[in-house]
Amino acid sequence: MEKAAPAAAEEEREEAAWAWTWGAGTDGQLGSGGLEDHHLPHPLLLPPRCRGRVSFVAGGGAHAIALTSDGEVFSWGRGTHGQLGHGNVENIPTPMLVTFFKNYTVTCVSAGWNHSGFATDSGQLFMCGDGSFGQLGTGDNQSRNLPFEVSSFTTKHVEKLAFGMRHSLVLLKDNSIYGFGSARRGQVGKSVCKNQKLHNIPRLIDGFPNRKIVNLYANGDHSAALDESGQLYIWGRALVGEHDDEQPQAVFPSLSISQVALGWHHALLLSGGELYTIGAYRHQKRETPVLENATAHQFNPTASSSNLHESSSLSNLVKVPSVHGEQVVQIAAGTEHSALVTDKGAVFTWGWGEHGQLGLGDASDQVVPRRVNLGDKSSCSSASLGVYCGSGFTVAVNSD
Amino acid sequence: MSAYDEVEIEDMEWNAELGAYTYPCPCGDLFQITLADLRLGEEIARCPSCSLFLTVVYSAEDFADAKEPPAPQPVAVA
Repeated sequence: MEKAAPAAAEEEREEAAWAWTWGAGTDGQLGSGGLEDHHLPHPLLLPPRCRGRVSFVAGGGAHAIALTSDGEVFSWGRGTHGQLGHGNVENIPTPMLVTFFKNYTVTCVSAGWNHSGFATDSGQLFMCGDGSFGQLGTGDNQSRNLPFEVSSFTTKHVEKLAFGMRHSLVLLKDNSIYGFGSARRGQVGKSVCKNQKLHNIPRLIDGFPNRKIVNLYANGDHSAALDESGQLYIWGRALVGEHDDEQPQAVFPSLSISQVALGWHHALLLSGGELYTIGAYRHQKRETPVLENATAHQFNPTASSSNLHESSSLSNLVKVPSVHGEQVVQIAAGTEHSALVTDKGAVFTWGWGEHGQLGLGDASDQVVPRRVNLGDKSSCSSASLGVYCGSGFTVAVNSD
Repeated sequence: MSAYDEVEIEDMEWNAELGAYTYPCPCGDLFQITLADLRLGEEIARCPSCSLFLTVVYSAEDFADAKEPPAPQPVAVA
């Protein structure tokens, strides 16, 4: 008995080393049981039975939703608006099964600032959390603390979701895209009347050519869609150029884009194995020293800029130099930080680091991708490692 | 230091508990500016959790003798 206890404890520790979080933690969004920031990867306390089954993690303002390959959903973090879907408004620092879905198979999840959405294999859409900008699509501006079905889609088949700060985008099986929530920056498409503040009933967003849309993206007041040919469309708050767009704009036609990640003022694009950024991190202080390395300087156009309008006009496409010769296989973006996974199964982060969201052991910012140490036991194939970001935190999951 | 962003007061939310207008901060917390600040012509909304701050765009006359806005609707149960 005396010998069994430490062995069991060790086994538990090894068992825990398959999902990690780091960054801002004051609302429990790290899911590690506490309410503190962590500057280094910490075990994410998903139940051991989830090991090898986590297919996606959606990160919101201060909450997160994990989806498993067999359609279960776990949520944790800030619950003040009911966004965790447990029927209350409590913060929960440990992942908890959303029991509402025990008779459903969830296939897609998304998290906005304080709202959450869940699509099922039957094409139904369920929403909960903050509804004050109409982002739940209910026709009112009420919040909900249990998932409820959005009636606009009961006769339609919802396939994909992407939520920004205060808006929601939905892709249907028939290839149409709907938007609802805050409309101030054009993020849910063209408004009928000028200065319309919000739309609380889902509205069709048109203006896409007749090609299959394969994915949707949203963060902050930005919206984006990717079609089967790798053509990217963006609308909402200005990301390329200086003007907000109510109509989807086809951008970077020369690229064949396979993955997109949006922040609040920047985006990552993966095309033909090359990683590009557009926009700029906005958090930098003016006194940030100008970087010696020209590539790094290019990569961080706000560093020497003194005014917001000026920095937003520098929204060029910038190629990120390859990291240690490794290929980028997956990308993710928080509000002001970025993360990637390489073909060697390594996680790299860069951007704003004040809350430890880079997981590098301190609160420093980084202008080029830096490797995160997930521990010796974490070496795994790239196909099995996923990285995801919430506003000020990061999640990595080994799905082996 | 320069402001993280510039936000119009109408894009901020009144939070009765905090007695302040708020706007999401990229760290996960909220930028805040109190009614008293606005009456004094203050333009900076700060985040209690990090070093970032916002510039708030508003018309000073609107807040010269502003009373507290009504409390927002309570959270509805589904």
